[in-house]
Amino acid sequence: MDAWVRFSAQSQARERLCRAAQYACSLLGHALQKHGASPELQKQIRQLEGHLSLGRKLLRLGNSADALESAKRAVHLSDVVLRFCITVSHLNRALYFACDNVLWAGKSGLAPHVDQEKWAQRSFRYYLFSLIMNLSRDAYEIRLLMEQESSACSRRLKGSGGGVPGGIETGGSGGTGTPGGGLPQLALKLRLRVLLLARVLRGHPPLLLDVVRNACDLFIPLDKLGLWRCGPGIVGLCGLVSSILSILTLIYPWLRLKP
Amino acid sequence: MDVMDAFTRFTNQTQGRERLFRATQYTCMLLRYLLEPKAGKEKVVMKLKKLESSVSTGRKWFRLGNVVHAVQATQQSIHATDLVPRLCLTLANLNRVIYFICDTILWVRSVGLASGINKEKWRMWAARHYYYSLLLSLVRDLYEISLQMEQVAHDKAKGEKSSSQDPLGYSVADEETEWLQSFLFLLFQSLKKHPPLLLDTVKNFCDILNPLDQLGIYKSNPGIIGLGGLVSSIAGVITVAYPQMKLKTH
Repeated sequence: MDAWVRFSAQSQARERLCRAAQYACSLLGHALQKHGASPELQKQIRQLEGHLSLGRKLLRLGNSADALESAKRAVHLSDVVLRFCITVSHLNRALYFACDNVLWAGKSGLAPHVDQEKWAQRSFRYYLFSLIMNLSRDAYEIRLLMEQESSACSRRLKGSGGGVPGGIETGGSGGTGTPGGGLPQLALKLRLRVLLLARVLRGHPPLLLDVVRNACDLFIPLDKLGLWRCGPGIVGLCGLVSSILSILTLIYPWLRLKP
Repeated sequence: MDVMDAFTRFTNQTQGRERLFRATQYTCMLLRYLLEPKAGKEKVVMKLKKLESSVSTGRKWFRLGNVVHAVQATQQSIHATDLVPRLCLTLANLNRVIYFICDTILWVRSVGLASGINKEKWRMWAARHYYYSLLLSLVRDLYEISLQMEQVAHDKAKGEKSSSQDPLGYSVADEETEWLQSFLFLLFQSLKKHPPLLLDTVKNFCDILNPLDQLGIYKSNPGIIGLGGLVSSIAGVITVAYPQMKLKTH
């Protein structure tokens, strides 16, 4: 009970719970539609989803300031690529929240002549840019870690006096056998890279969580902007998974990816 | 900017954000009351009404799950040392638990999940239990004020005894006004020494105006309720921003 009190004391936590509930409703609504449930139940689920969406918009009022604050902090990072990616991502998030606030004003009747469609498209565009920046940052971190890992591996091999000849060599420095060996060589190289990637991600749960979360989140604006229509089922499932993962980062702060 | 950092840290707490929204809601109520009789302000009044209702609906999301908070507060208040605060706070928190349960049921009705719920009946129940919890909190506040006043009187008597031995220090003009004056002086001194107690008393007193109106015990107008709600929300914002201003149970 104490854990719930501490968890719900963070306003972000409540917003994430509402998000999880909203996407669960979306997924449930899609499943009910496919299996031909009663229109009354479907209408109830859709209504609940609408309430959740509007409630979340209110809960998010003021998140623009939060995102700007994070962008200001990110400007002081040492690594240039990280600094660029994270700052731009937070700035895009701030713009997304600003558009979201305009949508809330429109939906709640404060500014009735707001073009809902136009502002919704705008907000999803900023959200997409921010997610692309997040994924670029993840890719950069993965690349750095893979280089580190592969150089550590080759150092260990050299230290242990040669060991298995070329068996565990992992791309990077030191090529494999004969140059231009053809398709089997390429397949082997690819397999080794994938193994290295898996090893890096397994050893860094925060990074893995962040990659999966951003990848899942990516489907939402892609669908809403019409770039890749995946359907409400996939959108609901991805939204639910990413919400659950971000709730996990709130419950266990060590799972949050720190720059 | 340091202001933005402080704002971010403040709004990161659910309670902080919720109190700001509550302040907004009651400001709208107050402004509506002030602007309604004026001609030519219909659009503004309509916008204020819409803002008030959407903020009020949105605040329900902040209250979901507060049942657990109230249960935990009940458990904590059972361990208070003094009898009167222990009794008052435990009963007040129990009433808050029931209030939050009623509130959750009203929320279920408002999102359309269960349409067979009698909104009026549950709303009355919620108002009644909220009223009881505020009443008990006020009793506790008055008890603490009386303790503080005794303390201040005791200190003053000790100070006077040690400083001057003149028994004819003041005139015997009107005993009643003398008593009232010294009572008010003691009250003022004890509240000045104990800002959290003052804040809590003001908050509970302003909050109780709303259920008093809803239950029909003391019908006031939306202006007074709006003002009371605004003042109590500001007091709540202060307790969140400065945790040392929160009244502690010992």
